[in-house]
Amino acid sequence: MSDELPERDADKALAGEYALGLLPPDEAVAFEARLASDPQLRAVYADWAEDLAHLTDSIDPVAPPPQVWAGAEARLFGTRRKFRVGAGGRSGWLATLMGGLAATVLVLGLIVGADLMPRDPASPTDPAYVAELVAEDRSLIVFAAYDARDGTLFVERERGDPAQDRAFELWLIAGTDAPVSLGVLPQDRAAVIQIPEALRPRLDGAALAVSDEPPGGSPTGAPTGAVLAVGQITNT
Amino acid sequence: MGDRRAFAALYQATSAKLFGICLRVLQDRTEAEDVLQDIYVKIWRNAGQYRVNGLSPMTWLITIARNAAIDRVRRRRAISGNSDGIDLHADPTPGPEARAMAASDRMRLTDCLGELDERHAQAVQGAYLDAETYADLAARFDVPLNTMRTWLRRSLLKLRECLSR
Repeated sequence: MSDELPERDADKALAGEYALGLLPPDEAVAFEARLASDPQLRAVYADWAEDLAHLTDSIDPVAPPPQVWAGAEARLFGTRRKFRVGAGGRSGWLATLMGGLAATVLVLGLIVGADLMPRDPASPTDPAYVAELVAEDRSLIVFAAYDARDGTLFVERERGDPAQDRAFELWLIAGTDAPVSLGVLPQDRAAVIQIPEALRPRLDGAALAVSDEPPGGSPTGAPTGAVLAVGQITNT
Repeated sequence: MGDRRAFAALYQATSAKLFGICLRVLQDRTEAEDVLQDIYVKIWRNAGQYRVNGLSPMTWLITIARNAAIDRVRRRRAISGNSDGIDLHADPTPGPEARAMAASDRMRLTDCLGELDERHAQAVQGAYLDAETYADLAARFDVPLNTMRTWLRRSLLKLRECLSR
């Protein structure tokens, strides 16, 4: 852009464009990188987000159908130990939760996440990278989170099952290199995969993909079936 | 388990508002339900980022919801190869939101948008709630894309100045 705005003003306009979702993808990525390291810019963006959120003030609340909560709960916690969301809500909840308690409690939830699902593999509390692999038609959704401390990748199949007598295989696609297998996803919904040390430096900026393979995985070392879902690995 | 209980309470307190936003942006109930589910999965997972982003809790939730809904609209358009469902050449008179907003307590944003060129105020709303891109806005107002962007950036600065008064 060459509209000759002073730098400070240019950032204000840029933050507004970002908040409105108007930035071209490359500029949005560059802006997010700056946001991560520039508290002043974060404050400028926060002002925009707060003000623009008022555009939703006049949108009436609509109660969502119960399957939305059931689905979210199943994706996050599996099917065990359900919590009911239902009658008995009071507006006092909102005030309490929105007073900052919710954030604190949610943060706690992540910190003690392992305790929530004692028998399941747990997502790392402070992953270096995450990726969400989504099929074009959303029939398969896989979430992945990499823990740099021990080189493990937590993988959770949120939606979708392999076809009869087929398996899902996970691949690392770094740059223009050929896909490298990270292994076959187990039957269980969630799993932890050990990433070989040689592959760890290649995760940054790479993509993950899931392909449809025979049981036990591709016999050739390269994907043989359809690539069902792909997701970019992003820094957290 | 207290965390999950709090999360359930958070859902109960906020899901209707966020569902309303999804419906408004997506104009499709099934898609709105789908996106709302994704939103709460994201909220649970990203709660750790909340403290550093400096947003008030409700703004944080609204922003996640609005961004997820906008992303879905754009993906839908990319797949269908065109903008669908939403009329980009909509009636230029203020919509029900703008009118209702004027009647609400949240006068500041309305007032400041009112100080802008009317088309630019519409552009701000179109981008925020209708997933309109610079290309969409340029077509709607029949100006070159770069001109649209230069105009809107100037208007955004004016809006920021008014909002900061």
